[in-house]
Amino acid sequence: MYRYDEFDHAFVAARVEQFKDQVQRRLSGELTEEQFRPLRLMNGVYLQLHAYMLRVAVPYGTLSGRQMRRLGHIARVYDRGYGHFTTRQNIQYNWPALSDIPAILDELAEVEMHAMQTSGNCIRNVTADHFAGVAADEVADPRPFAEILRQWSSLHPEFSYLPRKFKIAVTGAEHDRAAIQVHDIGLHLKTNEAGELGFAVYVGGGQGRTPMVAKKIRDFLPAEDLLSYTTAIVRVYNLHGRRDNKYKARIKILVHETGTEELTRQIEAEWQALKESDLKLPQGDIDAIDSYFRPPVLPQRPEGWGALAAAKRTDTGFAAWVDQNVTPHKNPDYGVVTISLKPIGGIPGDASAEQMELVADIAEKFSQDEIRVSHEQNLVLPHVALADLHTVYELLLADGLATANAGLITDIIACPGLDYCALANARSIPVAQRISERFGAAERQSEIGELKIKISGCINACGHHHVGHIGILGVEKKGEELYQITLGGSADEITTVGEITGRGFSSEEVVDAIEKIVDTYLGLRTGKDENFLAAYRRVGAAPFKEALYGEVSRAA
Amino acid sequence: MSETQNEKQLWGREGFRDDPYIEAESLEVAGDAPDVILPLAAWLGLDDEVRRTSNRRIGVSVAPGEDIGPLLEKLDTIPLIALQFPAFNDGRSYSKAELLKGRHGFSGELRAVGDVLIDQVVFMLRAGFDTLQVTNPVALERLNARDLHDTPGYYQPGRGSAQANGTFSWRRTPAA
Ligand code: HEM
Ligand code: SF4
Repeated sequence: MYRYDEFDHAFVAARVEQFKDQVQRRLSGELTEEQFRPLRLMNGVYLQLHAYMLRVAVPYGTLSGRQMRRLGHIARVYDRGYGHFTTRQNIQYNWPALSDIPAILDELAEVEMHAMQTSGNCIRNVTADHFAGVAADEVADPRPFAEILRQWSSLHPEFSYLPRKFKIAVTGAEHDRAAIQVHDIGLHLKTNEAGELGFAVYVGGGQGRTPMVAKKIRDFLPAEDLLSYTTAIVRVYNLHGRRDNKYKARIKILVHETGTEELTRQIEAEWQALKESDLKLPQGDIDAIDSYFRPPVLPQRPEGWGALAAAKRTDTGFAAWVDQNVTPHKNPDYGVVTISLKPIGGIPGDASAEQMELVADIAEKFSQDEIRVSHEQNLVLPHVALADLHTVYELLLADGLATANAGLITDIIACPGLDYCALANARSIPVAQRISERFGAAERQSEIGELKIKISGCINACGHHHVGHIGILGVEKKGEELYQITLGGSADEITTVGEITGRGFSSEEVVDAIEKIVDTYLGLRTGKDENFLAAYRRVGAAPFKEALYGEVSRAA
Repeated sequence: MSETQNEKQLWGREGFRDDPYIEAESLEVAGDAPDVILPLAAWLGLDDEVRRTSNRRIGVSVAPGEDIGPLLEKLDTIPLIALQFPAFNDGRSYSKAELLKGRHGFSGELRAVGDVLIDQVVFMLRAGFDTLQVTNPVALERLNARDLHDTPGYYQPGRGSAQANGTFSWRRTPAA
């Protein structure tokens, strides 16, 4: 993991001091809420429906046990005993008092964390594959480059007042778990024929009210040019992105209106002028950052194979959990454990202080002191020996953290929606809870197989509904909360935006509608190995529309 | 945004200074003020000859949406370029400052005008601005106290900073 050096510590400490001063001025009335707004946003403090909300950055989703324990401590002391992990690999606290926020930032700084650039029209927290460094299908760990981008984008003098927020995601594997094609910049780390590291560069993906899949603008960018090329992209965007309408201000609209070819030309021209500047990365620096992310030396634990097989035979709950939530590690004696934050009927992404502390303990003892936050709002223990899996399972089980549903229909992403968010049209969390209860039975979920449901409470799409295999969007019609359904979305290496099925459903109807869709799928799939998305891609929307609306729906 | 009745004051790294320039729509309405700043269109409309032989300095003011392209080949004849910030969160002028000072070597005075607040002062200096025209009372007060809200180090190359010793290539420390 990256560790702060003196330079980083001094930088974060200075920012916390500045913000303390600003909060003091706000509390004393020297600053109005209006004047305070841009300052608090620079530090991740939002004003929501009921209270201030603090969003803490978890760079590329990687945490140590100590950091996770501190997040739990903050939840207990300054909030209502829980925190909410988000689709951007961050954590949000929904109820902190403004006067406590400086103290929270001090607590975070002690464990090398902060809340900078988690809001505002700047380059946001850089996200990465949550299996980075352990996935068997990876070319190289993308996190060193995410860390370089994190540093370079921190309080960037030229890029702190962009037309709109700017999100960068990085993956190092062919199978994209970081949803890079729905980001402003998506970077796919790969090697060229000569075996050198570099990136395929995607620009202009995004969700919100105009979902767009990113365009690939470069097949291979040498790693040493990462910062100069990124600067070129962001500079062209800063100068030419629309500022007259905030709904048209993301780079996806600039790409769309300018044309990919012309915009690529402008970016490449800008890059030619920047290429040989101070931004070129010396190999020594790449190596130095890389060394922080060296894989831990894992002791051989071959006894785990037999132990695992034996435990699976005697404990069926454990067996189901292993099959669903444990994925292969580069090292065959180890597994990658997904800790589901989606208990049946629970609030997706919420974790209590005790749960965070438990995960911290387990990570220290059984996962080389490493934890990941996934964009699917789950936690990951990246290095668990097969021999320790049963112990880890029992510890998790005791605190409600062993739900065996990773990737299944109840592993739902939902935004905060009308329960917290001032922009919401409709509730998201209760819909997620009801779907989860409807499909909660283990056999039923397992029979249905891989299925991603994603729910947003309004068109801003924080819940990624556009890229859900089944997406649910809260809309408001004549004072009623309605839910529009989309099908066939996906955010992996074949990214697609889901298609709207037709008219929306009321809160009472929506779960039944989902069930009809699922039953339709079960009836038409070629077999269990054809998952929902594959089946949808084969047959299209028609059978599903018919199930939802009957024959007459052809007009819809 | 912060349009108050406050007087405009000109500030640079060394502190507050007198401003010899006035802003005018055209040379005709500028009266006999010694130094004038004209809007881009008016400036470009001037005959090169008039500009060169004038006994006053004629600067140019550029709005965020205006293109600096036509100025580039004349940079060595321009004494001052004022880049506008109609609102603090319109960041286009930062990129232009970077291009003018960094890429094109503009050596005249680069000035930030408009909604200049204390929280952006360091960004402006690092992007290449020499002077800032300030009206915001909090900004004036803090600049007077030389409290710039700076950080002890930067994560990007930029003007007025030096390579930080013994660490990554992109890191800088504020120039003494
Ligand atoms: C509750 C307070 C929140 C507010 C007011 C809010 C506001 C917004 C707005 C206005 C947008 C649209 C931006 C645009 O299209 O330019 C947006 C997009 C987004 N937000 Fe949120 N959000 C909130 C919470 C969250 C949470 C909890 C998450 C993570 C679970 C999240 C993740 C995202 C993502 C991933 C996008 C899509 C970005 C894209 O368009 O590519 N937001 N949010
Ligand atoms: S999608 Fe809408 S309702 Fe949900 S968190 Fe984002 S802004 Fe709020």
